[in-house]
Amino acid sequence: MGQGKSQFTEEELQDYEDLTYFTKKEVLYAHQKFKALAPEKVGHNKNAKLPMAKILQYPELRVNPFRDRICKVFSSSNDGDCTFEDFLDMMSVFSDNAPKAVKAEHAFRIFDFDGDDMIGVSDLREVIERLCGPEMKLSDSEIQQLVQNVLEEADLDDDGALSFAEFEHIIDKSSDFCHSFRIRL
Amino acid sequence: MSGGKNKRSKRHEGWEEAGGEFYQELYPGGEQELFDNLQRADAAKLATLLPSKQARTTTSKRARSQNERRQSTFARTTQSRDIHLSMLPDLSENLSNEERTWEEIMQIKAMPVPMNQKREIKSRLQNATKLRLQGLEQLQWRQRKALHRFRIRFSEIVGKFELWQASLREIEGKFGTGVVAYFLFLRWLMFLNLVISIFVILFLILPTILLDKNLECDDFENSTICCSQAYLQRNLTTSNVVLDLIQGTGRMERTILFYGVYSDQIYTYFLKNLWDAEMFYNMPLAYILIPITWTLFSLVAIVKTAAKGFKERLVENEGQFYMYCNLVFGGWDFCIHNDKSAKIKHKALFNEIKGCLEEERYKEEKQSRTRESLILMYLKRVLINLLVFIILIGSGILIYKIFNIAMDKLNEQFYAENEFLNRTEPIFNLERENTYTIMRFRLTLLEFLPFITIGVLNIFIPEIFGYLIGFETYTPANAIIITLLRTVLLRLSSLAVLLSQIYLQITDPNRIEKCLDPYEEFRHECWETYVGQQLYKLVLTDFALQIVMTFFINLPRAFVARHSNSRCLKIIGTQDFYLPKHVLDIVYIQTIIWMGAFFCPFLPIIGTIFCFLVFYIKKFACLTNCTPSPIVYKASKSKSLFMSVLLLGFVISILPVAYSVAEIAPSINCGPFRRYETVWSFVVETFEAFPYLVREIVFLIGTSTFAVPAFAILLFFLYYYWAVAAANRHMVEVLKNQLVLEGHDKQFLLNRLSAFIRQHQKRCERRNRASFADDDSSIQQHSSR
Repeated sequence: MGQGKSQFTEEELQDYEDLTYFTKKEVLYAHQKFKALAPEKVGHNKNAKLPMAKILQYPELRVNPFRDRICKVFSSSNDGDCTFEDFLDMMSVFSDNAPKAVKAEHAFRIFDFDGDDMIGVSDLREVIERLCGPEMKLSDSEIQQLVQNVLEEADLDDDGALSFAEFEHIIDKSSDFCHSFRIRL
Repeated sequence: MSGGKNKRSKRHEGWEEAGGEFYQELYPGGEQELFDNLQRADAAKLATLLPSKQARTTTSKRARSQNERRQSTFARTTQSRDIHLSMLPDLSENLSNEERTWEEIMQIKAMPVPMNQKREIKSRLQNATKLRLQGLEQLQWRQRKALHRFRIRFSEIVGKFELWQASLREIEGKFGTGVVAYFLFLRWLMFLNLVISIFVILFLILPTILLDKNLECDDFENSTICCSQAYLQRNLTTSNVVLDLIQGTGRMERTILFYGVYSDQIYTYFLKNLWDAEMFYNMPLAYILIPITWTLFSLVAIVKTAAKGFKERLVENEGQFYMYCNLVFGGWDFCIHNDKSAKIKHKALFNEIKGCLEEERYKEEKQSRTRESLILMYLKRVLINLLVFIILIGSGILIYKIFNIAMDKLNEQFYAENEFLNRTEPIFNLERENTYTIMRFRLTLLEFLPFITIGVLNIFIPEIFGYLIGFETYTPANAIIITLLRTVLLRLSSLAVLLSQIYLQITDPNRIEKCLDPYEEFRHECWETYVGQQLYKLVLTDFALQIVMTFFINLPRAFVARHSNSRCLKIIGTQDFYLPKHVLDIVYIQTIIWMGAFFCPFLPIIGTIFCFLVFYIKKFACLTNCTPSPIVYKASKSKSLFMSVLLLGFVISILPVAYSVAEIAPSINCGPFRRYETVWSFVVETFEAFPYLVREIVFLIGTSTFAVPAFAILLFFLYYYWAVAAANRHMVEVLKNQLVLEGHDKQFLLNRLSAFIRQHQKRCERRNRASFADDDSSIQQHSSR
């Protein structure tokens, strides 16, 4: 960790500690992990911007069906490329200490593929297709049925899409979400 | 028809115009802005302008950051970030004090904005003028800050010492959260055992080691002291150390491992430093109070953990509302980091989705099922249940028979061995040694035969159950529960048979109940120790079987599956981590530990060590032998499942112990309760010695004058909470309906509004065109002039 320490000033670390759910040590550890993705680039500039393809080499992200969405949501330039600070934000939200509400907020944005601030039918279809993976395909009618069921459960105001309030309501009642929406540093 | 439509549209226009005016009157200031917005906005995307969509507040505390949040979620709006940043609430308006500023800084981390913006907000908050706290408030705030920092440090340190963190992470990455919940449960059990062990060590084992002194046996005839003296000195024949260790006999029997050695004395000792005070330690009292304490402690721990899961389940279960949402939004374990597991997880989710849809169809089908197929299905189920019942009874009988045979043989052997040892005729020493070893070995085998039978049955019969369940068309969730129930029944029935056999042995009327001759030997002279030995052996056997199964049977299987291409071998070799089975394994051990801890105080300590080792065994089984299961295990569901099974095991293990404490006469020559008719009579006697007031109060609680009103009050509360819950449920329904209605209203209004906008835009165009036309005509006029 001696190496990592030299790259950050105490002040920066304090900032990171205040602004994320991590302690200073964890921040440094996160930086190590980030550095491992592109040792040279990050060695020169601790806050280097890595392209999305590089970020997606992080083991948990590599196999995640929503990997590109995650990168886009956390990228400060909105194109999926992440700096270390974006990466830190990401890990902070996925950490154990982040409250459910914060996780829900980001999950909503990850699942909102078309960015219209509603999880509509097309978003749901996309989520389901990604969940089942590239090899397995549900038939169209099955997806239709599933989307229908989800909307029946959660679409309280009956407008054919989930608003954030509705989504948060589901997450509130789902005890598994907090367990599953988590990446250990 | 067309006329009517025309009329209606005309009326609409009128309404819309009126609506527009009304709107303008109501919001005179924002009107221009709104219209600008409306004109720019796509009529179809009106919904995104609704306030409910704009103010996504998750907690009221974070209301301040609303604008900020909007901005970040809606990066596609044309305005730049800077403008929005400047729209942050101006802090100088209402000067906040240091504490509030600090609180706000702590809340920045919850905002979904990039780091540099967070930093900006932080510096803004820090630089804003603020009131300094004075005096006590300052002190309090400092304290709070320090506490906060301390808590972070503390949790960091605790996290570092957290047991098995790396292992858990590895398992999580490969198998997902459901399986990790199992390992967490295992760890929880280990800590439970550890706490029980600490109780036992502090209050039973240490005092015995430190304070025990041998009392002289002066009067031989009827004193319990002499009896126990005789018991302790007898049977210290030399035999194989290893055999003694695994059987708990011989020298082991006389150690503090077992009930028999604990003294019935009230220890007195002097503390020289404390004014030569004389202190007492009532060993029998401690020996009854400690089991009661850990029983209550275990119960509280289980109930507390179960209640947490139960609450979650209850919320979730509210009519199974969110099954699909849970599946879709909480389905993926974000912690999975392994390609193969990811593939399997995809498959598992696919299966689960299919299963859910199938279930829905199944339910529909059920209603439309023909009578014949229904009858056939029930017939099948009845038949299979019958078969299961027969298997259970059969295994019970098998255990019974084997136990009896083993006992008979053992008794024969026992006497044969005695004879053999007492023989005085000269034989060659070597030969004698050999025969003796073989004899001992046979004896040991016989001793362990019932337990090995139980273990083997526990391994193979669940496989049969798992095979049978396939024929009864249950839903997957029910199938797991039913298989689990049957396996629990098997394990418990085998235990019950064993216990009843032991019971028959120890309540045998022919049992010698005196200690006439110190040199005469008889079996089960201290039955509590005997029971302790049996359970000790059972735990050891079970543990040994776990090791054998994992390393010598399942490991080669997995090896075969991995390195062969033959399909047949693959079927034999592949094993998935079938959670219910593994849960039962450890709950079973725990049940025996609870059952035996009264008779063998060392069992919790052994249990702690075993849990520790079992963790590694199971980890090995999980990571090396098994492939991820194609069944989705949900963390929350499995947790409540574990706890309910554990609770069942707890109740079942405590009942026989409670019976023995209350009813069966303790042995006269060993243990802390030598003089008493039952263990409970000792408790009653001790209670009699309490002060009058305490006794009266306890008696009062026992009488009907107290019990009936208390019961009534409890009932009343129960009814009250039930009524409240019912009212709430009703309210939820009403509110839900109202929500739907409001939603419809909203949609209606939105449609109206978009129509109005379209019309407005059209009118503007028309007006423009008209003005253009005017211009044109005036130009033409000019030109013509």
